[in-house]
Amino acid sequence: MLTGISTGTAIVLAVPMGILASRVARLRGPLLGVIGILQTIPSLAMLAILLALTGKIGALPAIIALALYALLPIVRNTLTGIQGVSPAALEAARGIGMTDRQQLWKVKIPLALPVIVAGIRTAAVTGVGIATLSAFIGAGGLGQFINRGLALSNTNLILLGAIPAALLALVVDFATGAMGWSLESCRHRHLPKRLQAVLRTSAFLLPFFIALGGVIAYMSGAGITPVSSFSSPTGDQRPRAKVVIASKNFTEQLILGELMAQLIQERTELTVERRFNLGGTMICHGAIVNGDVDMYAEYTGTGLTTILRREVLSDPDEVFRVVAREYRNRFDIEWLQSFGFNNTYAITVRERDAQMHGWEKISDLIASAPNLRAGFTSEFMERPDGYPGLRKAYGLSFGEVRDLDPALMYEALAKEEVDVICAFATDGRIAAYKLKLLLDNRDFFPPYQAAPIVRKEVLKSHPEIREALAPLSGLLNDATMQGLNYKVDGKKRSPRDVAREFLKSHNLLNED
Amino acid sequence: MARFFFEFKQDKASSTPVTMIRLIRVSKTFDGGRSYAVKDLSLDVDEGKTLVLLGSSGCGKTTTLKMINRLIEPTNGTIEVDGQDVASQDPVLLRRKIGYVFQEIGLFPHMTIERNVGIVLELLGWDKSRRCVRAHQLLELMGLDPGVFADRYLDELSGGQQQRVGVARALAADPDYLLMDEPFGALDALTRDALQQELLSLKKRLKKTIIFVTHDIFEAITLSDRIAILHKGKLEQVGTKEEVLNSPESEFVTELFSKPAKQLAAFKRVT
Repeated sequence: MLTGISTGTAIVLAVPMGILASRVARLRGPLLGVIGILQTIPSLAMLAILLALTGKIGALPAIIALALYALLPIVRNTLTGIQGVSPAALEAARGIGMTDRQQLWKVKIPLALPVIVAGIRTAAVTGVGIATLSAFIGAGGLGQFINRGLALSNTNLILLGAIPAALLALVVDFATGAMGWSLESCRHRHLPKRLQAVLRTSAFLLPFFIALGGVIAYMSGAGITPVSSFSSPTGDQRPRAKVVIASKNFTEQLILGELMAQLIQERTELTVERRFNLGGTMICHGAIVNGDVDMYAEYTGTGLTTILRREVLSDPDEVFRVVAREYRNRFDIEWLQSFGFNNTYAITVRERDAQMHGWEKISDLIASAPNLRAGFTSEFMERPDGYPGLRKAYGLSFGEVRDLDPALMYEALAKEEVDVICAFATDGRIAAYKLKLLLDNRDFFPPYQAAPIVRKEVLKSHPEIREALAPLSGLLNDATMQGLNYKVDGKKRSPRDVAREFLKSHNLLNED
Repeated sequence: MARFFFEFKQDKASSTPVTMIRLIRVSKTFDGGRSYAVKDLSLDVDEGKTLVLLGSSGCGKTTTLKMINRLIEPTNGTIEVDGQDVASQDPVLLRRKIGYVFQEIGLFPHMTIERNVGIVLELLGWDKSRRCVRAHQLLELMGLDPGVFADRYLDELSGGQQQRVGVARALAADPDYLLMDEPFGALDALTRDALQQELLSLKKRLKKTIIFVTHDIFEAITLSDRIAILHKGKLEQVGTKEEVLNSPESEFVTELFSKPAKQLAAFKRVT
């Protein structure tokens, strides 16, 4: 669906641009230049930029991005196609008395059409590919599966998204090709007339059917997977008030999101819309500030250093107070009681390396650092409470530093592709992969107490949310969270099931 | 068939020749006056007659032709068609009234032959059935069986057939004038010859005013009522073939016909 709408929009914009460019030579250079530059912006960056510009997550920025990418092949091909029309035909068109408009519609465009359609095909097919990335900003679609699979290191999920996407690309290619075929009258001369008419109409309409199918699938795709469904506990058909819960794109966040969602569903009359797996702190923060989502689980340390950009503090209570006060004043967001665990960043190495070198604390690494390869998340590389600050605080300078996806870094460390990572202290894979957390002896990292943060407005209209989530406060200590994380990462269970099991074991859910 | 064409026209038979196209001191420069493609050219073309513009490449003959239907605009001078200055008419409407046959043929590959022939009628707003009928008539006139050719496409026809369709297209709206720009130049000698003969018989039946551009001396002699010889943008001489052959008015004209004359004499001696 994303591909359909964006390609359609692009066609409407791009073909006239191409036609204009074919007539006004001065425009050509600048036009192609600008569109070409757009093309070179990496897709993820483009999505992030649009997110910032439009202030929305979801389908809208994705569609704009896809439409922008579709422009270049279509404009360029329109231009090339028209320029490639035989000069003899063009001269004849003018000489027998066609107006400029007639020359365009009766001669130039029909003769340029094969090339234009080729451009549209290219745009549509690459659009399918880029569309899968838009799940990064919550636009849904097949990319969701891929994203989730990446977050959970679940190959099956990744394939569940990737294979249909690839098939879809093939189908789209065929359909747009068929549409092009139907428009070229001279290709069907050997078919009997009636068959021609039938085939041509159906071929022309094929892409529209597919786009329509895509829209339907997109809308109901909400129903296919549990994680993005609407759900109503009592089955009442009246429209209910809704709360939108977000999460970042790693396991712990998915579990916390599920815990909150299930509790709210169980203990209030509200329906919950899940917008999980958003790509990182900045996206979640942006979304909650502009009201696209209503709540998610944030960490005090992250709020302090990355969002509020303040100096690092060490006392957990103080950090919480500061963060709660500032978020209330600046963003109208309330911090509820923390869950009870501190998911701090922890510099982590393999256990056997630690034993061999006698590493217990972070400063023990200073000497060997130039010989060590580090793998950090992209967010960690940029945050003040991340690598930049770490280097200053400890004088650490690793020999090699790479960006790693948070879901993959544990395995990378275990498989000796890197020697040091910055793990999340409550990750289940630390024990599983026999990794060791080093002590932060210079107190560099702030505390990262996790707590639900909710928009003040939502809390005011639905104070029952606070009560619904109250049982979670202090319920999860480091070990418990680690255990839950392990069940998902290590045992490959779904966050939803693990959350439900946990809630039931604490009698917070009725049997349903 | 010929009668059909006469019905379309009011009878224009008259004893004194009426000038249909006039070029009055026409000049054209493409580089602001440094050089002239056509310099100070004055010509009359009488009704129902064929004037051949003869000259070698670059002499300005095609430029002159294109100025008549305003594909090119003259720098100086006036061109009158039917007593009216062409500059005062809408170029698009003007072109629809004048049949034009192109050297590169210029048919449209994405249209059927039938549609190609009727394209000017389409521009004039004729409805489909009338266009079809007329297109079929013209195809027959040009010796192409409509049953076979109407639904074909350009790439299924030989060069000679394509140009016949080109002529048919030019005749479709029954224009009074026909401009032909080296129309047989892209064809082989045998086909060229056949088409010249066909054009001659068409001439007799259709009584159109034709301006025909060529560099081929024999073609000029075969097809013309009068020949206008151009050289470097200037008119060297205009007259009937007898006049230019027997009373050349300049060195250039003499030179021009000397070689073919010798060839012809040699040919005659053999036969």
